[in-house]
Amino acid sequence: MAAVASAARWLFSLRAAGAEGHWRRLCGAGLARGFLHPTVTGEDAAQRRQVAHFTFQPDPEPREYGQTQKMNLFQSITSALDNSLAKDPTAVIFGEDVAFGGVFRCTVGLRDKYGKDRVFNTPLCEQGIVGFGIGIAVTGATAIAEIQFADYIFPAFDQIVNEAAKYRYRSGDLFNCGSLTIRSPWGCVGHGALYHSQSPEAFFAHCPGIKVVIPRSPFQAKGLLLSCIEDKNPCIFFEPKILYRAAVEQVPVESYNIPLSQAEVIQEGSDVTLVAWGTQVHVIREVASMAKEKLGVSCEIIDLRTIIPWDVDTVCK
Amino acid sequence: MAVVIAAARFWRQSRILGQAALLLLRRPGARGLAISHPHRQQEQFSSLDDKPQFPGASAEFIDKLEFIQPNVISGIPIYRVMDRQGQIINPSEDPHLPKEKVLKFYKSMTLLNTMDRILYESQRQGRISFYMTNYGEEGTHVGSAAALDNTDLVFGQYREAGVLMYRDYPLELFMAQCYGNISDLGKGRQMPVHYGCKERHFVTISSPLATQIPQAVGAAYAAKRANANRVVICYFGEGAASEGDAHAGFNFAATLECPIIFFCRNNGYAISTPTSEQYRGDGIAARGPGYGILSIRVDGNDVFAVYNATKEARRRAVAENQPFLIEAMTYRIGHHSTSDDSSAYRSVDEVNYWDKQDHPISRLRHYLLSRGWWDEEQEKAWRKQSRKKVMEAFEQAERKPKPNPNLLFSDVYQEMPRQLRKQQESLARHLQTYGEHYPLEHFDK
Repeated sequence: MAAVASAARWLFSLRAAGAEGHWRRLCGAGLARGFLHPTVTGEDAAQRRQVAHFTFQPDPEPREYGQTQKMNLFQSITSALDNSLAKDPTAVIFGEDVAFGGVFRCTVGLRDKYGKDRVFNTPLCEQGIVGFGIGIAVTGATAIAEIQFADYIFPAFDQIVNEAAKYRYRSGDLFNCGSLTIRSPWGCVGHGALYHSQSPEAFFAHCPGIKVVIPRSPFQAKGLLLSCIEDKNPCIFFEPKILYRAAVEQVPVESYNIPLSQAEVIQEGSDVTLVAWGTQVHVIREVASMAKEKLGVSCEIIDLRTIIPWDVDTVCK
Repeated sequence: MAVVIAAARFWRQSRILGQAALLLLRRPGARGLAISHPHRQQEQFSSLDDKPQFPGASAEFIDKLEFIQPNVISGIPIYRVMDRQGQIINPSEDPHLPKEKVLKFYKSMTLLNTMDRILYESQRQGRISFYMTNYGEEGTHVGSAAALDNTDLVFGQYREAGVLMYRDYPLELFMAQCYGNISDLGKGRQMPVHYGCKERHFVTISSPLATQIPQAVGAAYAAKRANANRVVICYFGEGAASEGDAHAGFNFAATLECPIIFFCRNNGYAISTPTSEQYRGDGIAARGPGYGILSIRVDGNDVFAVYNATKEARRRAVAENQPFLIEAMTYRIGHHSTSDDSSAYRSVDEVNYWDKQDHPISRLRHYLLSRGWWDEEQEKAWRKQSRKKVMEAFEQAERKPKPNPNLLFSDVYQEMPRQLRKQQESLARHLQTYGEHYPLEHFDK
């Protein structure tokens, strides 16, 4: 009896402490929930978690892109991918575990909708995933590759930096892999430790020929991802994994683009400029209001959005 | 919790569900997703049918402890059509190619050889910065190129100039790339021998080795989706086959069912590293079956063997959407490059053997002579003519200016970003003031 009770308590604490996400995936994987159907209570998990300390700040509902729907970050990614595969018949999505919906549910429903030749698993090999993606893009088809965690992008570093970035330049524009986009979950999540938390954008920030983009929210993510996919240069799109369920916003259902290499001034200020990207934008918003309150300092907040090529003019203005 | 996330990565979740589903199918309504006992699981499959059920392999049980012996003493046999004297061994393997085609083989190989001699020499004289010859491997290039369609996409490593030669890439453009002059389609950006040609479906060469292998697989996958009836061929050396990218490429091609020919030029050396230090197994061909890839080893110095193997591989790759691996055994007669002196690691006798006793050009010449399709007079005339063609192209290439320095900044991205435009303008201003310190007279204005 005592054993059963303690086992039950152990199970409960497992659920509570965030294995919940894993548990949910185990139960939910393979079951056909409408992929635009938002999952419940991301907030509870965040509140129980004592490690992450920021509040996601949604932007007001966008009016200029038609009908919107409440989506979290992974759903906005799915929506962008859905739009892309619908309008571009050459587009394919591939990587580890994308077929069943992905370890973060970003590709749920897409294989059923578009077919197994367009949404498929690859062997467990990041250098292969990116190399394969480059090859697809060289023929002019649209390649959307997923690297399961940004922490594992390093085996593909040679293919990204020595190949993808230089393809157009070294061939005198005879060949290019502009229709390649690499997506990858990024950034700290509280419990990820060394190998499920990395933010490796700095390694790519000085590599001419590629673009690196990091969104702060579902609305931003969909528009920026669509721009990356349509951009004629190889792009890396990092998705803040801690926001996958925690960030919920009204996001347009149809396709729309947010321009690359354009930073956004989220809040104007006169004393100091704070530049951030991804999750940190929300932290820096809190910091700005604390600075105002406690120090009387007026902060300008800029979300950089594209890390390379970055918007020097907006930041330096 | 890091452990849980890591576990999620390693556990094949869908497979666990799949196996549970299997249980459900076998015994309706019984246990659903509950933990199954090994004992009970055995009961579900008849004891008369005691076969392994592992998802990972399709094989029988064995009760004898035995390690599989890799066979390197008597490896995969080498397919050939001609003997070393250019005589057809088995008439049923003779491709019966028409005279014009075989003459084209011969002329492509010899023209390449002539161009190699002249460009190697031009590097020695300081006219170009670097060069790599193809001596001894001309048969691998021409035999395989001839077996493909003109629109089949080629991904090479760096020692496949004969493929371009066979596809009638003009001497002027070979030279332009080596000289980096204004006629270079690559805009003078790369070292010599890094050729590329969109029109002839030859993807531009890059220096990092084996990176082209998974790329070729991706291109083949796209060709399959487009119903293009095209094959992709991917060339690499036995040294590059040690790279991780090679393993990645083979595995992806097999699992994703791509119409691709992997063509390995096993020429005995990776710069100074002999094959005994490159691998311990039975070469590259023996790796194919490990990936589920149909594989063959051929005599790379026998242009007909190379042709036959590539032709059949192409036919089946496109028809069946699966990869093929061809390991062409050959010998690198020349140095690795103009930066190498191979006498430091191999004997002159060894090199001479291959040059004199087993050379693709000689063997084909013997065949041509025995067919009465060639003779000494034509040989003399062709040598003179091909040398003249090469020298003319060479002299022209020397005289042309280099591309405009503005081309340093374009094509980094499809559009030129502001930062690069500012750098470009900055250089232009700098040259206006200090131009006298730069050899601007050699560059296009």
